Amino acid sequence: MTALTCRFIKLADGLLRGAQVTVCRVGAALQRAPVIQCIRTHRTNTWWDEHLTEDNASFLKKVVTEEYKQQTTDKLNPLKDEPWPRHEWAEGSRRVGLVAVKLGMMPVWSKSGERHVVTMLQVQDCHVVKHLSKEEYNGRTAALIVGGKNISPFHRPEGYLEVFRNAGVPPKQKLTTFCVSDNAIIKPGTPLYAAHFCPGQYVDVTAKTIGKGFQGVMKRWGFKGQPASHGQTKTHRRPGSLGPGGDPAKVFKGKKMPGRMGNIYDTNHGLKVWRVNTKYNILYINGSVPGHRNCLVKVRDSILPTRLENNKNPPFPTFFADGDKELPEDLFDEDVFQFGQPMPE
Amino acid sequence: MAAVCTSRTRQMMGLLRILRNFSQNERLLSTSVLRHNVASDGPPKFTPPSKPVIIDKTQKEASLRRFLSPEFIPPRQRTNPVKFSIERKDMIQRRKVLNIPEFYAGSILAVTMTDPHVNGNLNRFVGICIQRSGKGLGATFILRNVVDGQGVEICYELYSPRMRKIEVLKLEKRLDDNLMYLRDALPEYSTFNFDMQPVHYEITGDVPVNLLKVKMRPKPWSKRWERPKFNIKGIRFDLCLTPEMMEHAQKWAEPWRPYDMLKEYDTSSLEEHIFKEVHENLRK
Repeated sequence: MTALTCRFIKLADGLLRGAQVTVCRVGAALQRAPVIQCIRTHRTNTWWDEHLTEDNASFLKKVVTEEYKQQTTDKLNPLKDEPWPRHEWAEGSRRVGLVAVKLGMMPVWSKSGERHVVTMLQVQDCHVVKHLSKEEYNGRTAALIVGGKNISPFHRPEGYLEVFRNAGVPPKQKLTTFCVSDNAIIKPGTPLYAAHFCPGQYVDVTAKTIGKGFQGVMKRWGFKGQPASHGQTKTHRRPGSLGPGGDPAKVFKGKKMPGRMGNIYDTNHGLKVWRVNTKYNILYINGSVPGHRNCLVKVRDSILPTRLENNKNPPFPTFFADGDKELPEDLFDEDVFQFGQPMPE
Repeated sequence: MAAVCTSRTRQMMGLLRILRNFSQNERLLSTSVLRHNVASDGPPKFTPPSKPVIIDKTQKEASLRRFLSPEFIPPRQRTNPVKFSIERKDMIQRRKVLNIPEFYAGSILAVTMTDPHVNGNLNRFVGICIQRSGKGLGATFILRNVVDGQGVEICYELYSPRMRKIEVLKLEKRLDDNLMYLRDALPEYSTFNFDMQPVHYEITGDVPVNLLKVKMRPKPWSKRWERPKFNIKGIRFDLCLTPEMMEHAQKWAEPWRPYDMLKEYDTSSLEEHIFKEVHENLRK
C-alpha cells in the first residue's frame, strides 16, 4: 500500500539555531537560505507475506526453521567452529552474562527451615552475537553482545538481521552488551547455558520494570500526601509545597512530580543463585526481579564488593557443553533443602 | 410340580455328593500315584501344581476415588507451562517422602510439625480445615480449634520441610469450600478434642457431605456473610436475620457473573492430564 507523504531533508548548509523555518507545500522550493526542504515520497508499508502465495509463505517458514536448527547445531560442533582460546579465571577479570526469560516465582526452604522466595529465570537460546574490541567499544574494556530468545526474521528490518547473519545465529529478541576483560572473550556464535552460574554465587539482574502509566506523586515517589479528614479541602494525594519561597523564586530541576512511572531499565543487585536446573536451563534467583512474567532480563555476576568472595572460580569464560563433563540435572546450593533428601531437624 | 422339584433337587444333591466323594478320591488317588512313582522310578517327573485362582479382595483401581489435590491445578495466567511442570516435579518428590492424604475444607486433621522451641521437638495440633489456598509448592491450609476457650487458627504449608505427619481424623466435606464464618459461629462448632480417634472412611465412592447448618453469634460479624458474594449455604440465617435483611443483602448480588465468558476457566482436560502424570510418578 503506498501513500503520498512529505519527507523533510536537512540540507548540507546546516541547521542554524533559532533560524526561522518556513515549511512550504509539496513540490515548491524555498527561496531564502533554506534549511529544510520537503519532497514527495512513496511510503511502502507491506508485511512479509502480503505479496506471496500461501504455498510460498509456508515454504519460507519451513525453510527458515530448518535453517535455524542447522545453525544452532553447527555452532555446537567444535570441529566446524574453531573456537577461540580459553583462559583461566584471574582476580579482577570480568566474564559475560546471560539473557534469560522470567518464568515466575516459587518458595524455597533452607536446611534450617527458613522460607525464601525465588524467581525462576529460563535461559532460552542464548548466543554470543558480536565481539567488540577495546578500541571499537570505549577504549578501556572489550565488549561482547549477547542475544536472547529466538524470533522470526519476518517482522524485523534488514539492518537488524544483518548482525545475526554475520554471526551465523538465528535472530534474537533482545541484545545486550557486557563489558568483559580481555581474557574472557568468546567467539560469536557460541551458545551460553544456565550452568554458566553456580549455586551460591551472587548476580545482578537488569530488566525493564512494569509500566504503570501516568502516576501521582504518592505512588511514584512515595510521598505521604495529606490527611483524609480534619478539614482538608480537595487535598489528599497532592505533592504539597514545591520548594522554598522567594529566595530561589523557582522550582529546582529534578523536582519529584507526577509523571510516567515504570517501563525503564532497573537493576536488582546482589541476588543469590539458589539452584540451577541444567536440563531446562533454569536459574533460581533469590527475591524478586524487575519486569513482568515472560520478559527478557540481563543477568551478570554481581559487582557489589562484599559479594566478590562468593563469585570466585566460576566456569571461565563460560560453561561449554563439550560433552566430557556430564552435569547432574539439578545443582543445589549447600543450604537448600532438597525434597528427595531425608528431612533435617 | 412341587414333587418334581423336590425329586430334581434330591437328584442334584445326590450328584453333588457323588462328585464330592469323587474329588476326594481323586486327591487320594493323586497322592498315592506320586508315592507309587517315588517307590519305583526314582526322582518323580515334575508336574507343576495347578495354578491357584486368586480372588482380588482389595478394590479394583477403577472404583477408587480419583482425587487430585487442588494445588496441582495451575491458575489461569499467562505463564509458561514449563514452570508448572517443574514445580509439579518438586511436589511429587516431596509427596514420595511425606504422605499428604486427601482432605477437604471441613475435614478434621491432626498435624505434627518440628518445632525448635518445644522439648521433644515435635508439635501436634488438631483442628478443622477451614480453607485450602495457594497453588504449587506454596499451598497452605488453615486449621481451626478452640483451646481453653480461645479460638486458635494455624496456617500450615503443605510442602514445608518442617511437616512430619498429616493425619485425617475425619474425612468429610461441608456445604461450602471456605469455612471462615466459623469465626463468627458459636464456639461449639469449632471445638475438637485433641485426643480424638481417627474415624474410618471409605476409599471408594463419594466423600460424605455434612449438611450441618451452623448457628451464629449475634451480629456484628467479621464479614457480612449473608451477602451473595460469599455464597454461603452452611449458616442458619433464619435464626439470626429477618427476611427483610436477607432481601437487602441481595442488593449486592451480581446475577451476570455465571454468564461472564472471560471468567470461564475449564480445567477438566488439564486435571485429567495432571492426574495421570502425578499418579504415574508417585507409583514409581
